[in-house]
Amino acid sequence: MLDSPLQELEARSLARIAAAASEEDLEAVRVDALGRKGPLAQAGKEMGKLPPEERKSFGMLLNSTRQNLEQALAARQQVLADQALGRRLDAEWLDVTLPAPGVRRGHLHPITRIQRELEDLFRSLGFAVLDGPEVEDEYHNFDALNIPADHPARDMQDTFWLDRGNLLRTHTSPVQVRGMERLGPPLRMIAPGRVFRNESVDASHEHTFYQLEGMMIDRDVSVANLLYFMKTLLTAIFHREVTVRLRPGYFPFVEPGFELDIQCLICGGPGCAVCKQSGWVELLPCGLVNPKVLRMSGIDPEVWGGFAFGLGLTRLAMMRYGIDDIRHLNGGDLRFLEQF
Amino acid sequence: MKFSYNWIRELVPGLAEAPGPLERLITMKTAECEGVEPACEMLAHVTLARVESAEPIAGTHLTLASIDAGTAGHRQVVCGAPNCRAGMVTAWADIGRKTIHGVESDGMLASPAELGINKDHSGIIELTGEPGGVLDRLCADSIIEIDNKSITHRPDLWGHFGMAREVAAILGLKLHDSVKLDLLPAGEAAVKIAIEDFALCPRYSALVFENVTVGPSPYWLQARLAAIGLNSINNIVDMTNFIMSELAQPMHAFDADLIAGDTIYVRRAKAGERFAALNGETYTLDPANLVIADSAGAIGLAGVIGGGPSSITAKTTRVVLESANFQASSIRKTSSAIKLRTDASMRFEKAQDPANTVRGLARAVELLQEISPGIRLVGGVAESRREIAPPAPIDLPLAWLDRKLGRSVPLAEVRGILERLEFAVSEPEPGMFRVGIPSWRATKDISIKDDLVEEVGRMVGYVSIEPQAPLVPSRVPPANPSRQFQHDVRNIFVDQGFTEVYNYSFLSEEAVRAFGFDPAEHVRVANPIASDQALMRTSLLPGIWRNVLDNAKHRESFRLFEIGLEIHKKSEGLPDEIPHLAAAIYDRYGDGRAGLFEVKRAAECLLLGAKAVPAEARSFEHPARSADLHWRGEIVGRFFELHPRLVESGRAAILDLDLRAVESLSGTEVKFTPIRRYPSSAFDLSVVAPLRAHAGTLRSEAAQFAGPLLESIQYVREYAGPPLPDGSKSVSFRVTVGSPERTLSSDEVGQIRAAMIEGMRGLGYELRV
Repeated sequence: MLDSPLQELEARSLARIAAAASEEDLEAVRVDALGRKGPLAQAGKEMGKLPPEERKSFGMLLNSTRQNLEQALAARQQVLADQALGRRLDAEWLDVTLPAPGVRRGHLHPITRIQRELEDLFRSLGFAVLDGPEVEDEYHNFDALNIPADHPARDMQDTFWLDRGNLLRTHTSPVQVRGMERLGPPLRMIAPGRVFRNESVDASHEHTFYQLEGMMIDRDVSVANLLYFMKTLLTAIFHREVTVRLRPGYFPFVEPGFELDIQCLICGGPGCAVCKQSGWVELLPCGLVNPKVLRMSGIDPEVWGGFAFGLGLTRLAMMRYGIDDIRHLNGGDLRFLEQF
Repeated sequence: MKFSYNWIRELVPGLAEAPGPLERLITMKTAECEGVEPACEMLAHVTLARVESAEPIAGTHLTLASIDAGTAGHRQVVCGAPNCRAGMVTAWADIGRKTIHGVESDGMLASPAELGINKDHSGIIELTGEPGGVLDRLCADSIIEIDNKSITHRPDLWGHFGMAREVAAILGLKLHDSVKLDLLPAGEAAVKIAIEDFALCPRYSALVFENVTVGPSPYWLQARLAAIGLNSINNIVDMTNFIMSELAQPMHAFDADLIAGDTIYVRRAKAGERFAALNGETYTLDPANLVIADSAGAIGLAGVIGGGPSSITAKTTRVVLESANFQASSIRKTSSAIKLRTDASMRFEKAQDPANTVRGLARAVELLQEISPGIRLVGGVAESRREIAPPAPIDLPLAWLDRKLGRSVPLAEVRGILERLEFAVSEPEPGMFRVGIPSWRATKDISIKDDLVEEVGRMVGYVSIEPQAPLVPSRVPPANPSRQFQHDVRNIFVDQGFTEVYNYSFLSEEAVRAFGFDPAEHVRVANPIASDQALMRTSLLPGIWRNVLDNAKHRESFRLFEIGLEIHKKSEGLPDEIPHLAAAIYDRYGDGRAGLFEVKRAAECLLLGAKAVPAEARSFEHPARSADLHWRGEIVGRFFELHPRLVESGRAAILDLDLRAVESLSGTEVKFTPIRRYPSSAFDLSVVAPLRAHAGTLRSEAAQFAGPLLESIQYVREYAGPPLPDGSKSVSFRVTVGSPERTLSSDEVGQIRAAMIEGMRGLGYELRV
């Protein structure tokens, strides 16, 4: 007969738990039903008065009621906590389309980008990256490259002269000489850098521009090797197969000397405005290193030979990025520089 | 250099290639062509015609000419020329009908200028011959322009004959030599030659002519010269220019009656000697210049330009014709010293062939008979020359040749190529050619076997060589730490929001002065592009300043930087080139504080633990905002705000770092310190100090009293205002102490704190405790 009050308590408490809207409501139910002075505790104390045969079944009932209520309380508590978290997080709505604060990453100069790409490429092919001074002496810029004083080839490069016969290097080729002097053969080197020519500036001419000189000296280096190397290199630079051709060109520090043309990347050969309808674009001068140059730098041309080439970094950057006015490159205008 | 296609075809009679394909062949095998242009195009459409009648057209200055054009029949042509008259023979161009002033004109009568012969457009051309006939040696031409740079090493290619030799060799055709040496007269010369220094003038040849008629050249000669860009002067001068353009041998004609004495001297000029040239200029010479002189003085500047007083005029009846050879470097020196480049000096500086002087004279004898009828030679060839040894032959091992080219060329083909280029080939032993060098290739061009690699290579065609991977050992290349370091610095600054600029290495005196630098301390360009680009930069700052001003026109705020070389004068040798980084942060708004601390922060990204030490401001710096950057015991740079006087609106904070110094201090090996196992303790310390006391100074002062257990001392905040007295502030630091061996007791921590307070008090500071 004591069964029904417990069942009644359980039913009443479960209803209150289900209706609880807060932690406090739940706590009240817990105290009322499961508290030390609550009906379950009371019933427990009275259990001893029961005849032994009833005591067991009453105990079981008591336990199940307690367990049911505790489970219901915990479940309801979880629901309430989830709801509270949900409300809080909802209140934390953010407009994620707002711009992120702080400074933006800056931009490398387009020539730096090209130059690094080439430095990495050449290093992967075993070439050292060398530096030389921008102010050179006549010996390294001219004489050691087989361009003696009063040689008409000096006209090929209008020179800025400084005091004491020094000059602003007209090409990166003097670094070849310094490389040969310092490292000796066998040698694989490039020298990217700033060069100067005394020319007026317009959309396609600059007195300050960038070159990359390259040289390889080893035993038995042939024109066929030069061709292979140039093809490999240019394919990597332009990220596509390039067709190259050599034709005679005169540069005193190489013999034989070549102009290297690539098949026009715009039209692929039939001719267009970019290649002036010829199908070919003149890209770089190169050749086998003149034995006189080797000898002047203390290398025996009967044992060693090599090739050298000069790549116009400025020109390459202009081709790569479609820059139509060379003056942008030294102009310092962020509206230009931030595009790279 | 312009080459006439017709001229080349006269020298290579079998030439069948059209100008376009020929140009491409020359480009691939000899020298770079810059294009083909038509010349004298109108000549393709003209025939001889006789004017039968010429009636004025009323109300105009025009004439209606009825002409007889031979097989082309009779035509009516409107003509505006004043010399159009019945009976004359002229050139009629069949270029279609058009109506002029209401009168139909069938083709046109052409002036010499319209035909491209010369610049005369005063009237229609006057010719002789039968109507319907062709014009004597006048026809449309094509001009192939060769890039001068690509023939710098080829003295022979500065004349049509040399180019014709190439064309003949390329196509396997026969070359026609226009020179008939047997025309040279024998006998005693009518003039003596005295050469002072054969090194400067290896050979001087001359001929004397009398009964000379000076007048206009025949049209064919004028047209030839016009086509390659030379003006017609008179028949004698035109003849010298013609031979120069054909044989690459510059010549000069003197009026023999205006030469004093019977000897032509080739000597160094006297110091201060004056020379009146035929261009109207007078030059003051020195012994570095070689002159042609008579007994009275200089009559020519050797190899550059003739004299004015002795030049050919309409009155000339006797001529001394000079055909000489001069040392290339001497001519070049003189020509650049007086800043006069002539067609002659351009050729001589390429080292012309001494054997060519008499060839030029022989060609002149033939031409003069035609263009100055009645002319007579006086005496034989006058000559003075030094013995010129034939060039030594070059041994060409054929296996070596194949290795250089990277393909094998059959022996017979090598021989054929060299012989077509007029090298003498013998085979003293199997697999080896002994190659004799023709005189026109021996002066500068060909002296070693590598030069022959080029001859064979270009003629077999470089396109015939298959690319081949070089067989070289793989090697890790030596590193370039400086360059790598600069790339790393670039990355840091780009990551911090700076954009890279490149500036010129040149500065103006004005910019240098604006920064308070001394122009005399700069390396100076002797021949600057413009006077404002005459100094080499000793600082990147003027360039960065310009970048700031330029970009401030478009942007409210920005960051930029440059890595470049400062160039510093040294008393000897090459200047010192020091890599620097200069960076700027610009903001149009604000008080400049944020920017200054941002450049400082950026610097600290590179210089971990650098200290800013307030420094006396330079003239371009904000007087109260500049500091040196001390790092690892050295001053490696500076940061400051640009003086507001230099920035119209807004503020610019600048960082300037000596990257050579920074790099030399970088790269210390990292050594691991064990992580502390015992917790540290921290407490705050607030020091009351004068308003302008430097927090950095207070921090180091406080640190020295903390003893060996100090881990760190960090700035927290500063405060000025009540209850602090006016003129003072409180600067708070967080002091962290600890030991690697144990946890410090609160007593120990308290003792450190007390020691610091006491120490600071000893220095005269109050502490808020």
